[in-house]
Formats: sequence, structure tokens, C-alpha cells
Amino acid sequence: MNLTEELQRRFGYTEFRPGQQEVIEHVLEGRDTIAVLPTGMGKSLCYQLPGYLMNGSVLIVSPLVSLMEDQVAQMRKNGEKRVVALNSFLSYSEREKVIRQLDHFKFIFVSPEMLSRRTVVDYFRKLQLALIVVDEAHCISQWGFDFRPDYLRLGDFLKIIDRPPILALTATADQKVMFDIPYYLQMRSPVVERQSLDRKNICYSVIRLKSSIEKMAWIKNRVSTTTGPGIIYTSSRKRSDELAKELQSIGVSCQSYHAGKEQDDRSIIQSQFYNGELDWICATNAFGMGIHIGNIRQVIHEHMPSTVADYSQEVGRAGRDGLPSVATLLYMQSDEQLTSFIIQTDIPKEEQVRYYNNLLIDGMAPEEAAKLAGLSETGKRVIDYYMERFEVVEIIEKLLSLAEEKNTELQTMLSLIVTTNCIRKNILSYFGEESNLKIPQCCSNCSLPEMEWLTVEKPSMNKHAIMTWDERITKLLG
Amino acid sequence: MNLSSILLFIISKMNGERTINASLHLLRGKKSGQTLQDVEYFAVKPFFGILPKLTDKEFQKAAEKLRISAFIVEEDNLIRLTAEGASEVNKQEDYHFRGWDYRGREVVFFKRLALAVQTVSNLREGTHSFLPIESDRDIQLFVKRLFYRKPITSPHFAKEIGDELKKALIGCGMSDKQKFIFTGRLTGKRDTAKTWDQLARELEEQLDSIRLQFIESLHMLLDEIHSLDEYPILRLISDDIKVQTYLTDSAIRTKKLFEEGHSLGSIAEIRQLKLSTIEDHLIEMAMNESSFPILRFVSIEQMKAVIAKANSLGTKRLKLLKVAFPSLTYFELRLIMAVNEKGVV
Ligand SMILES: Nc1ncnc2c1ncn2[C@@H]1O[C@H](COP(=O)(O)OP(=O)(O)OP(=O)(O)O)[C@@H](O)[C@H]1O
Ligand SMILES: [Mg+2]
Ligand SMILES: [Zn+2]
Repeated sequence: MNLTEELQRRFGYTEFRPGQQEVIEHVLEGRDTIAVLPTGMGKSLCYQLPGYLMNGSVLIVSPLVSLMEDQVAQMRKNGEKRVVALNSFLSYSEREKVIRQLDHFKFIFVSPEMLSRRTVVDYFRKLQLALIVVDEAHCISQWGFDFRPDYLRLGDFLKIIDRPPILALTATADQKVMFDIPYYLQMRSPVVERQSLDRKNICYSVIRLKSSIEKMAWIKNRVSTTTGPGIIYTSSRKRSDELAKELQSIGVSCQSYHAGKEQDDRSIIQSQFYNGELDWICATNAFGMGIHIGNIRQVIHEHMPSTVADYSQEVGRAGRDGLPSVATLLYMQSDEQLTSFIIQTDIPKEEQVRYYNNLLIDGMAPEEAAKLAGLSETGKRVIDYYMERFEVVEIIEKLLSLAEEKNTELQTMLSLIVTTNCIRKNILSYFGEESNLKIPQCCSNCSLPEMEWLTVEKPSMNKHAIMTWDERITKLLG
Repeated sequence: MNLSSILLFIISKMNGERTINASLHLLRGKKSGQTLQDVEYFAVKPFFGILPKLTDKEFQKAAEKLRISAFIVEEDNLIRLTAEGASEVNKQEDYHFRGWDYRGREVVFFKRLALAVQTVSNLREGTHSFLPIESDRDIQLFVKRLFYRKPITSPHFAKEIGDELKKALIGCGMSDKQKFIFTGRLTGKRDTAKTWDQLARELEEQLDSIRLQFIESLHMLLDEIHSLDEYPILRLISDDIKVQTYLTDSAIRTKKLFEEGHSLGSIAEIRQLKLSTIEDHLIEMAMNESSFPILRFVSIEQMKAVIAKANSLGTKRLKLLKVAFPSLTYFELRLIMAVNEKGVV
């Protein structure tokens, strides 16, 4: 079989990008594979193409519901009808309907928590599966808002079935992740296909400021004098709403995007952004990982992420069309404390764990006990997961070491910010890569020549021309 | 129109007889015996369930605004209007909600319409792949069935839908601002809909006001579509939107047993429910069904006497009526009041 011909025929691309063909060949040979390819380089193709060439369905485990839905929509848009998403946001009846017809679908996206349900697993066992994909596989070793004990439970699911090959995909794999992935996914002597994670067309810049007022001023000036489309990452939903309001008030076309918005508004904002009707989005990390919009020119971090992995994921939204793009991170001294505070509140303390455990022993319902012990939702999920496996003392030890780990990650992120050496090299060394490439527009610590393409003449005004209502209907429908 | 103005209007109807929470339940469309009765007693059907997702916070904010303006006061937890409040209500324009008939389903109608419009808007220009603005599978399947064997790629067909829509928007009597909001939420090939924020900014109004005007405009449009035969496509899109039966599912089951001749006590036993719940169901039936056999419970004379007393007391509070008619049970009094509101007596 000629793979390039298949690529051309089914996707219309003339050649594979680095690494793709190798990954696909391994998968077709039935081998467990770990593919580490940079953001935006086409990891999805690595399971889509083999999916067509194999008998049976492809099961794709995907960490975020929004991401899952986006990918289903993209595939449908490209003409693939046999694709479906199965997650806990579906209503009970919708889910039942999907589950009963599972064998109609070639590509089934599923959230990790669905796979920890017995009934769902039973259905999957009856299904002929060609391939199991774990997308954004680095989530396995992550702790934080998106930590999913369910991800860890995946191993249980993968252990019990007489299974097809597993393909793990990620763009952010440091040593620990590379150890965790095969371990937790129970992979059988996996092949690792690894490409340089460098994104050459993204230029990195760190700007130190003294106060949040200065940050605000910088952003206002930046978005009204430079080109979009762009994403501004903030530390919370509330903050992204505030920032969007501020920017709207100076005439910038901008909307906030986060999981707290109603579904219709979220699709509208995405669609405006795709269509170039909207220049800027102020977002939480809900608008990150895996989201594919070709022409994003700028990513601005109003606030530092807590890990280098998160940072490079978010930065990875930029320049997916291959054209020059800029990532700017704004930093002021007190950011470190705030970030560290956010991280630590998520991790349950020793007293909390003991108290929670005692309440459970007294026969209290878990939800209520968690509330009394002051556990966050994430915190409860994690403790519940551990309690199935370990004694309380061990759990406390594990949580301590998690807190430490988290802190180390934060320090690594910080060193990236304060370094006077090349930022790009720093990021790459985090992923265990060495690079001596000289890139003309590299980072704010190397030389940063004037980037003319970045500047725009006049501030972008709201692009919605005001039409009367019947003009609008005529425009839409003729 | 905004949330506090509507709240003020509702309070004016329940004046001094209910707590503030009764209004919250009403706006959210809570299907409890108490709320369902209130709807009838106080003639506030139009507002039932117009904001199913209303949060406590938003609601309390609107109530607080009324308190600060001294339009309402609270006594023994019961809310009533002040003189200023009453004169404020008189200044309000008429509302055209039909909450009782649509109960949040109007939004489903709009989602179908939005996806249908986006689909033909793209197809008429030969664009066959686009990201659907509605990700809900049920909505997608509905639109797919709707367009089955229709000339969806023809510009004529798109224009037909557009013309029908224009006619209905004018015909239903919504305001120009409402037409602007309504069409602003539609997406086409080149124009994406606007978010609520964007509409609020363009019209320089608050979010709650925009949302409410939108809901009201949907109710007006749906009424127009159902009352005239001139909107074939919109009629199809609004299929199944209006509630078919006004009874809750549980009341329907009770009704069936009641019609088979079971006593209330035996229905309660069969259904493993409290007697008071079964009584609530009968009140629901009495309110909604003209054929309800009220005379199996009370006599004509009793009904007349109770209604006369209620009118002379100027109250619908059962406690006061109970004092006047110690021989009647609360349930019987409620039945009489329910039937009375329907205008049967
Ligand atoms: N061989 C190819 N030639 C040209 N374009 C390609 C090729 N493979 C993939 N693409 C395109 O690259 C884009 C990005 O792909 P994709 O979303 O799969 O990236 P990704 O690696 O999953 O990124 P992320 O790590 O951010 O999830 C898509 O539009 C895809 O169609
Ligand atoms: Mg991806
Ligand atoms: Zn550099």
C-alpha cells in the first residue's frame, strides 16, 4: 500500500509532515506507539489515516469536553459522518442512544471518566476496535485543575480487554511524562517516534512590568496597535470577563471565552473567531489544548501558567499556518505568589484528608463529607481515587510529594521567565532537547529585530457593521 | 423591560399574599403544586418558566433594586407593593409573554431556526462544509429531517424562508428592537450571530433586558405562526414546541387512575405517594381541564358561598377562608378557588 497516495486521496495533502508516516506505519503494524510531535503539526492525522485503513472503530480518549466537541465538529465539517463524542455532558437519553449505536461509528471520542463506568466499558468490549488513541497523553502525569484520576484508571480499562494497539499523542513530553505514559497506559514495548518540539515560527517574548496597572496599559496599547487574531490568557474566568470589557471599551473587537459561558455564546464566539469577525479572545485555559485555528498571530499571557507544559500548549495555538507569530508573557513580581497560591489551594492538606476519612468512616455521604472538610471538587476526586488504593498515611505522603512536584514545576516555569539566556533553548531543554539553531526572530533574550508584519495602521474597530433587521435577513438568505 | 420591572409586575399580582420566592419559582417554571396553583390564582401564567436558568444571585439583585427604590416592602415575609410601586406598575407597558404555553421550549424553536438558516445560507452559495452553530445532536437531526427532500441548495428556497421570516416578524407585532435582537442571533455564511454581550453593547442596554425582550419576541412569533396558515416552513420548525398537555407527567398518571374510578386514598397507595401530592394533582386537573367533575367534591352552594366570601374579603389566602368555612377542608377550598379562576362558576 502506498501511504502517500492514501494521504493525497483522503486528505488532499501532498506529503507527510515529519514523523507522521513513521507513526502511521507503526500503528498499522499493530505496535503500541508514543508519538511526540510539536503542537499544530498534525497529530490527529496519525490516527485518522490508519483508521480508514483498518477494520473496526478507532477509540479516541480526549481530556477536555470542549476539545472533543471541536474535533468532532472539524471532522464532520471535513465530510466524516461516522464520528461521535461520548461524554458526561450528554443527557442520559442522548448517551444511551449513542451507546446503542456505537458500531455505526468509525471514530468515537470519549472522555476518560466515561471509561471508568462499568456499563460503558462493557459496550466497548463488544465492539471491534482497530486502535485506541490517547490524545494529549501528557495529562496522565499532570496534577492541577485538569488532573483526572480517571486518566489513571484508564490503565484498568486497557488491562482488561484483549486490546488493539495503543497510540499515545502529545506535544509536551518531559522525562517524567515519557515514563508515566507507557506505565499508566500499560503499553507493551512501545515504539517512540519523536520530533523536535520547536515551533520555529513562534517568537517568544517576556516583558517585566511593575504592577497590574502597567500590564493593563501594555495590553491596551498592544492590541490596538498590532495585528490579531490573538488570544490573551488570564488566570480566571472573572478576570477574562473583566479584561474583555476593558478592551471593548476602547473599541477593540474582543470577547471572553471560558467554561462558564452558555453553550450558544461559546459557539458564536468560536465561529466569529474562525471567520475573522473577532480579533481577540480573552480566555482561560478552556480555550487551549488541541484547539486548531490556523491564523492566530499572537498569544499573550496576562498571567504566567503554572507549568512549562501548560505554557507551551497555550503558546502552541499560535502560527499553526506556519507564518510568523509572537508569544508574549507579562510578568510582575507578585505573580509567583498568586500562582503558587492557586496551585496549593487545589491540593488537600493533611488535616483535610484525615477529617474527610473520619467522616466517611462515620458513615457520612462522600459529597457532604467533602464539603465539611473543605475539599475542592478536584481535591475530592483525587482523594477518592487514592483511597481505593492506599492507606491514609500513604495518601498524605503522596499529596505532600505532589505539592512539592507542583512547586518544582512552578519554579521551572519561573526560571524560564527570569532567565537571561535564550527562552526557546530553555523550553526545549525542559523537553530534553538540545538546539543550537539560530533563528532570526527568536526571543526577547536573543536579538529581537523590529517585526513590521506585527504592526497595524489603525486600531481594529468592531467589525459588525450596523444593519437593520431586514437587511440582515436579506444578507443571510437573499 | 428588565428583570426588576417584571418582578414588580408579578409582585403586584400576588400583592401581600406570597413571599418573594414564589416569584422566583414562577419565573423558573417550578412544577410544584404550590407554584402551579399560584399561576392560576394570581393570573400570572404568562410569566411561568420564562427564565428556567435564572440564578438566585440575579434574582436577588433584581429584588434588591425594587427594595432600594422603595417599590416593595416585606411584612412577615410577605411581599407587597408600596404606593410608589403601584404607580410604577401602572406606568409599565403591556407584556406579551406566553410562558405557560412554551415553558422554555421557545429556545428549542430558535435553535432549530438558527441552524436551518445557517444551513441554507451556506448551501445557497455552494458552501457545503461549515461548523454548525448548534452542537446539540437532537437539533441537528431535527434540521436534517426538516430539509429531507427539500431544494436546500436553491437560492429560491433560502429566499422563501427569509421572506416568510420577515413577514412573520412584522405580523407578530414585536418591536423593532426585538427584531434587531432576534435577527442578530442568527448566523449565516458570512455573518456569525452576535453574543448577548455584543447585543447589549450595541443597544446600550443591560443583559437581562435583552434576554427578556428576546424571549418575549419568541413567544409573539410562535403565537403568530400558530394562529395563521401563512407560514408553512416556520410552522414545521415550531412543531412540538407548544406544550401539549398542561399537566405534569405525574399528574397525568394520577388522572388516569382517577378516571378509572379510584379514590384519592387508593391512588396514593397505588402510586406510593403522599395523599397531599395526589391532592395537588387534582388541583392541577381542576385548573386545566374544563371537564373536571368538581361536584363530586363540593356542592354548587358551597362554591358560591366561598367565592362570594373571597371576593368580599378581597383575598385568596386560604387561611382566612378556612376560618369562615370551618366545615370545608383546605383541599376543598383549593379546588373551589382553582375552578373559580378558570371562570367556570
Ligand atoms: N501532512 C499534512 N500536510 C498538510 N497539513 C497537514 C498535514 N497533516 C496535518 N495537517 C493539518 O495540520 C493542522 C493541525 O493538525 P492537528 O490539529 O492534528 O495538530 P496537533 O498536532 O494535534 O496539535 P495540538 O498539539 O495543538 O493538538 C490541521 O489543520 C491538519 O489538517
Ligand atoms: Mg491535537
Ligand atoms: Zn532565543
